Amino acid sequence: MSNRFRDAEVLLEVQNLKQYFGSMRANVKAVDDVSFQIHKGEVLGVVGESGCGKTTTGRSIIKLYDITGGKVIFNGETITVGIPELKIKLKEARKNGNKEEVARLKKEIKEGKHINKTHTSRDINKIQMIFQDPVASLNPRMTVREIIAEGLTIRGIKDKEYVNKRVLEMLDLVGLVPEHADRYPHEFSGGQRQRIGIARAIVLEPELIIADEPISALDVSIQAQVINLLNELREKMGLTIMFVAHDLSVVKYFSDRIAVMYFGKIVELADADELFANPCHPYTKSLLSAIPFPDPHYEKKRKRIIYTPELDHDYSAEGPSLREVSPNHFVYCNTAEMEKYQAEMK
Amino acid sequence: MEKILDVKNLRISFRTNNGRVKAVRDISFDLNKGETIAIVGESGSGKSVTARAMMGILAPNAIVDGGEILYDGMDLMKISEEEFHNLRGNRISMIFQDPLSSLNPIVKIGKQLTEAMILNGKSSQKDAKNIFNNMTKLLEETMVKAYAGNEDKIAKAKANVAVLKKFIEVSNKYEFEYNQAYDMLESCLMNAESLRIEIIGKKTAVVPNHAKKVVEEAKRACNPFLISKDNNEYMTLVNMIAQEGAAYPKTGNGESLTLHLEELKTMLSEVKAARRKASPNFFTLGYYIGFEPNAKSLDELAQDVEGMNTMTRTYIDEKFMTAFLEDIAKALELAYLDSVEKKKAAVAHAEDVLSFLEADSIDIKELKKKLDALVKDVEASIDRLSITKDSTAYTFRSAMNHAVETYIYAMHLKNKKHLSASEKIAFENTDYNLVVTNMQVCVKRLVEDYELQLQTIDTDFSDNAVDMIDYLKAQGAKMVYRVTKSMAKNRAIQLMEEVGIPEAEKRYNQYPFEFSGGMRQRIVIAIALSANPDILICDEPTTALDVTIQSQILELINKLKEERQLSVIFITHDLGVVANMADKIAVMYAGKIVEYGTVDDVFYDPKHPYTWALLSSMPDIYTEERLESIPGTPPDMTEPPVGDAFAARNKYALKIDFEQQPPMFKVSDTHYAATWLLHPEAPKVEPPRIVTERIERMKNMEAQSNE
Repeated sequence: MSNRFRDAEVLLEVQNLKQYFGSMRANVKAVDDVSFQIHKGEVLGVVGESGCGKTTTGRSIIKLYDITGGKVIFNGETITVGIPELKIKLKEARKNGNKEEVARLKKEIKEGKHINKTHTSRDINKIQMIFQDPVASLNPRMTVREIIAEGLTIRGIKDKEYVNKRVLEMLDLVGLVPEHADRYPHEFSGGQRQRIGIARAIVLEPELIIADEPISALDVSIQAQVINLLNELREKMGLTIMFVAHDLSVVKYFSDRIAVMYFGKIVELADADELFANPCHPYTKSLLSAIPFPDPHYEKKRKRIIYTPELDHDYSAEGPSLREVSPNHFVYCNTAEMEKYQAEMK
Repeated sequence: MEKILDVKNLRISFRTNNGRVKAVRDISFDLNKGETIAIVGESGSGKSVTARAMMGILAPNAIVDGGEILYDGMDLMKISEEEFHNLRGNRISMIFQDPLSSLNPIVKIGKQLTEAMILNGKSSQKDAKNIFNNMTKLLEETMVKAYAGNEDKIAKAKANVAVLKKFIEVSNKYEFEYNQAYDMLESCLMNAESLRIEIIGKKTAVVPNHAKKVVEEAKRACNPFLISKDNNEYMTLVNMIAQEGAAYPKTGNGESLTLHLEELKTMLSEVKAARRKASPNFFTLGYYIGFEPNAKSLDELAQDVEGMNTMTRTYIDEKFMTAFLEDIAKALELAYLDSVEKKKAAVAHAEDVLSFLEADSIDIKELKKKLDALVKDVEASIDRLSITKDSTAYTFRSAMNHAVETYIYAMHLKNKKHLSASEKIAFENTDYNLVVTNMQVCVKRLVEDYELQLQTIDTDFSDNAVDMIDYLKAQGAKMVYRVTKSMAKNRAIQLMEEVGIPEAEKRYNQYPFEFSGGMRQRIVIAIALSANPDILICDEPTTALDVTIQSQILELINKLKEERQLSVIFITHDLGVVANMADKIAVMYAGKIVEYGTVDDVFYDPKHPYTWALLSSMPDIYTEERLESIPGTPPDMTEPPVGDAFAARNKYALKIDFEQQPPMFKVSDTHYAATWLLHPEAPKVEPPRIVTERIERMKNMEAQSNE
């Protein structure tokens, strides 16, 4: 199956996104120079082990953090620019006495600051987030009605009847009944709470939803309910979803394209089927070899591939970058490795 | 296979404001040594409650309505808290679900990991000392009794015990030193390998420090029986590594350093292999060195370990052991025969009490008196010189007390005229037949146990005498095995590395909040594994982890299972994980086991609709179609449904499912399922397409791989 969304317009573009924590020098590079695009209507799955920066990527896009470097472009409009990196570049340019560069960077910083100020996280209503833990992400002192309506109220809609109508519509859409509107979150089961979280996210009619491990805290039977719900909503509302998860079977089932992250970098990016059929990067291979499978005889034989970056790569001659190994299949590698991967594929 | 744990008709409920929540309703299963049973089900199905009951950590509002969990002859539902202290963590250990709430937020990770090790080490040292002293004392006393009248023999036996005490000390000292050096050797091997990888990866900054560590460990690994301190070749190699490691950031010369590390590794591995083939027998060596006036030096002896072992063995046998073993056998025989007589008396007494318990009305005063006398009889009948502990007899007192107390309280409620509100609830919830049966079961189990023991009466005690020596040897070794802080730290760091925590040494000094969820869970697992338990209960240990780590942890648990013959109870809702781990599977729903079978039975031939639903609601990498989710939520367990609890969510439900609970139908010798669909008169129903297709595909894949 080829990706049917490839020709659709680009909804979100992330350019060289960097998110460092701590100071600019000695710090944690949670997201390190990540670029990708999400087309309209598509589901991009982001997988990787815990601490590899997948959640941080999602949160940076929605401006929960001030990014360190790079740009996020949504619907053709730049919504956030990384200032700290530009400032360091400016310092260097001043040291070198490159006047043109200094002027250009100064202008860029000024524009960037303006962009960051005008597009506050409250303003980007078209991107919404679903959080991992349905217990912690709902305010226990608000009724379901208040939780779902909060976004509308903040947006300045005062027409109570309209708000009410929208809330009930949303409840219906996520498979809850109107009676649920006046209850508190603790009265619901885990799956129902996650539905409330989804209702809150879609009430503002977003174009892009960042789902941050929406099912990993749920029971298997409930997981299926939530995935089915997200699939239905996707068809009904034409949603684009960035699906962050670590359960590879679910990601494979739900996504059109998959990005594999390792230590703040995207190491492989390809269509879901292509990635599973021809994994190139050793980390992807090790990840795929670790998927548990409900088949005892197969499981007893399964061998896990261990990934040790120091032994698997030799970057002494040439550093790696994200390269297109075959059409629409990107791998983080250097030239020698790229040739090796291409040979393997044939 | 040896049965290690047996759960019989367990029922547990919780007292709440809205009534009694029946969390576990009559479940039974058993577990063999070295086997894994997986308990699968949704949250609220009672799987965690079952696990907690085994650990004796049920919430205070829990009521055990009936049933028993038998472990090592003890009923875990009835033994006292003090007796549980010896089991919990040590012999039955648990990995909890939520890593956030199972770690102390204000104590450093390192401390939390080593705390139990150090405390355990101290207490086991103390225990071993007590056991050793008591045992030798008892042995001496019994010997005196056995040789009554023969002063000559008594004096000799007493002298022999003194000799044993003395030379066990010597051999323990050597063995302890040897083991410490051996640990160092293993850790040195590991660190040398990681240092080699760091040099390849050009991590210049950390190399000097790590090289220093490797060198230090290599030096501490020196022992006459491993690598001698006077071995020049080895020492020059170590010194070279030390110099090159320190100079590495300046010179950047990794090649010769790597080469030397390789050399060190081969050298150590050779020593390790040699020791694995023949390890020195310190027990006999201790006697030889302690009592042979012209003993050779250790270095000389270490030249030929096998020769040394045979030489010292014949030496000790000639001079000491043969005579001493006779003495021990004599003492053991006396103690055993004495206990057999007393056991016979206890059985007679117990049967007398049983007939008393069967009477319609029981006088409480009389009951107390009779049971006290019985407990005394039973305790007197224990053979204290036997090294296999008879747990049923040892825990008889607390089990009996527990049963009697419940009985007395129940009687008190029954006879009281005006009950307070809470007493009223307790009164309504008490099953009067059950409290009496509980007492009877207790006594009956003892009688059965004793009768079984009395069926075969030992006459030959020479083997037992050898076992006794081994036992004293082991206790002696524990006496000197001191867990120092640095040892605990080394072990903790090793454990942290084993469960996949990078930079373990740095992380050792951090607080729980500095760890991500997955990392925290790994720490919890490391803590649970540090005590070497018999049974490991894993309550959704990998639910919060990503696949690579999950698979690492599962491999780790599987490895430990094989190495230590560990029995594992694995609680999860992820069937993919189960396929890898389990030997047997119990699918639970609403407090009952609905399907029970081997892993092949459940995955290749599932019978219960709930199992179908679980299998079809999870996608695998081949799934394309819409997932079949289970509609609705599990039922409210304060008022469990009359019929099959799953009926309301089951699209295959028959009319009878709503009216009557299905019994366990037998599918094969190992496979049972509780669903009316298996009744001969039930309509034939096929499992959902997604399940049948997957099974088909799995069979095809297997056929292909076999070709």
